[in-house]
Amino acid sequence: MPARNNKQWTADPKLEKGEWIDSRVYSDETIAEEENSKIFKQVWVPVCHESELPEPYDFRTTSIANEPIIITRGPDKVVRAFLNVCPHRGMLIERRPSGSFMEGQPSGNPKRMTCMFHAWQFDMKGNCVYVSREEEGYQDRLCKADVGLRRLRCEVKYGGFVWVNLSDNPSVSLEDWAGKPFECLQKSLDEEPLEVFHYHKAIIDTNYKLWHDTNSEFYHDFMHYHNRVTGFNDSYFARKNEAFDHGHVVVGSFEVNYENYEGFESRAELSFPHLPPNQWYMIDLFPGFNFNLRGSALRTDVVTPLGPNKVMIEFRGLGLKSDSAEDRATRIKHHNSIWGPFGRNLHEDLIGVTGQGTTMREKTDNRRILHGRQENQTIHDENGMRHYYDEWGRWMDRLPSAPDQPYSPPAAAAEAEAAE
Amino acid sequence: MPNNNYDISNSVRDTIYRATIALDGQEWHDWLALCSEDYYYIITSFSPEINKDMIYMEGDLKEMTSIIDLLPKHNTDHSPLRRHTSVYTVDVAEDGKSASAVSSFVVYQNMLDGNNSHIDSGESRLFLVGKYIDDFVIENDQVKFLKREVKLDNRRLDKGSHWPI
Ligand code: FES
Ligand SMILES: [Fe+2]
Repeated sequence: MPARNNKQWTADPKLEKGEWIDSRVYSDETIAEEENSKIFKQVWVPVCHESELPEPYDFRTTSIANEPIIITRGPDKVVRAFLNVCPHRGMLIERRPSGSFMEGQPSGNPKRMTCMFHAWQFDMKGNCVYVSREEEGYQDRLCKADVGLRRLRCEVKYGGFVWVNLSDNPSVSLEDWAGKPFECLQKSLDEEPLEVFHYHKAIIDTNYKLWHDTNSEFYHDFMHYHNRVTGFNDSYFARKNEAFDHGHVVVGSFEVNYENYEGFESRAELSFPHLPPNQWYMIDLFPGFNFNLRGSALRTDVVTPLGPNKVMIEFRGLGLKSDSAEDRATRIKHHNSIWGPFGRNLHEDLIGVTGQGTTMREKTDNRRILHGRQENQTIHDENGMRHYYDEWGRWMDRLPSAPDQPYSPPAAAAEAEAAE
Repeated sequence: MPNNNYDISNSVRDTIYRATIALDGQEWHDWLALCSEDYYYIITSFSPEINKDMIYMEGDLKEMTSIIDLLPKHNTDHSPLRRHTSVYTVDVAEDGKSASAVSSFVVYQNMLDGNNSHIDSGESRLFLVGKYIDDFVIENDQVKFLKREVKLDNRRLDKGSHWPI
């Protein structure tokens, strides 16, 4: 078809329902706010790895859907999560990204979380243990026992990640949420403890779902020279994109030929436990968490939406805690060559989604985004995204192809239309 | 300080600044020509998030050459980088055969691709802040890089770069 006029440009494509969506899903401010309350405040988020707080009294801070969070490890070694919010007048309790409460702070004692403002103190279980001039100010109207921290659902699972859910009553347990997609890697990730060796983040102008889309489709390997030369073979094109309940997708494994790219070496020797040599698995969890194991190194991405057209992506690299110094150095090198901030692929992925962010930023005209590739659910099929947006529609009660209308499943919507 | 050392430290400074100009101009082979056979390049950073020293990139002369030769096959952000380097200290070994230097740098990204090149292009943004920790070998009055550690303060790297810093 030659270039199109506006009517043709904005017309529905000749594809089935569910094979395209409306770009307002990415650009609309109301939708972005609603996603925080309807999705991010309800799902299990892998906020960090337990190796980031290895010792008793270690802590990490983070946030989910604008709510500040603190993760602590107690003297009993148990990892717990709380809102990082002082119950007195709302000061952020801990301001550093990580550290230890073993040392006292200017306003407070060792082994306590201390709010620096008026020196209220809390133990590692979130109990309030000290209110300055408690009796003088509150007499018997309010006491320590009434002003504990807000505790959050928290579990350490699937390779030692710390999963937090802001809801007191999650609609589904972590096990039911993520157990099935993790089955393919469970033995590799849980055989022995893992350890994080890499952290960096990007804050870019695009919608968080566009980053997750990129992680859920391999058609964009045409952008990555490295993947084309090391990956494009028969077994690559036979890789399946498998959909799981709750909007998750797993891309099955195949053998990567690293030696086809000059300067690259096989990763066979340092494969994770139980993983056949040079295999590559991807687990994409709704609504934006990715676990990517390329033989010798695990990468994870965690998205934090900062607006319809702004997202923070936190990148981690992990190896085995038992690594010798030499093995660890090799894993880091493998990780960096493709996924490091100066590596071959990550930079290209970030350019790709930033370009999408430019054409779909707030207040841009809505248009159709095509998710219609059907290739027997293999690697260049877009079934991963179709599956994701159907789940998204249910959580949001919006139709991805017409987000101002309530959700209905693609098949039912098609039937209703046919009956009209 | 003996004359000899004074000359050597001037050559060290000169070599660091020439490297900056070559890197800014994306004259990668000119940059590597300033390096010895045993050259080793590494970008590091400390993360208070995970409480660890990290390596973001590394390579010997052969690996850096191969990375540079394959750059044109990869997609890249087009915005050129401008480095501002200040050499703080130069220490020359007593035998005059080696030296080390510490420099501070900032890198600006002169936007060409932006969120919208029509709007962002032409603007300069602070891209990276850090230190160069360099080691040199001196043979026949020639100063050559033996090792460069680029120690970044940044842990936020948005579009990063394939390019050495
Ligand atoms: S706000 Fe925390 S002690 Fe007052
Ligand atoms: Fe990619």
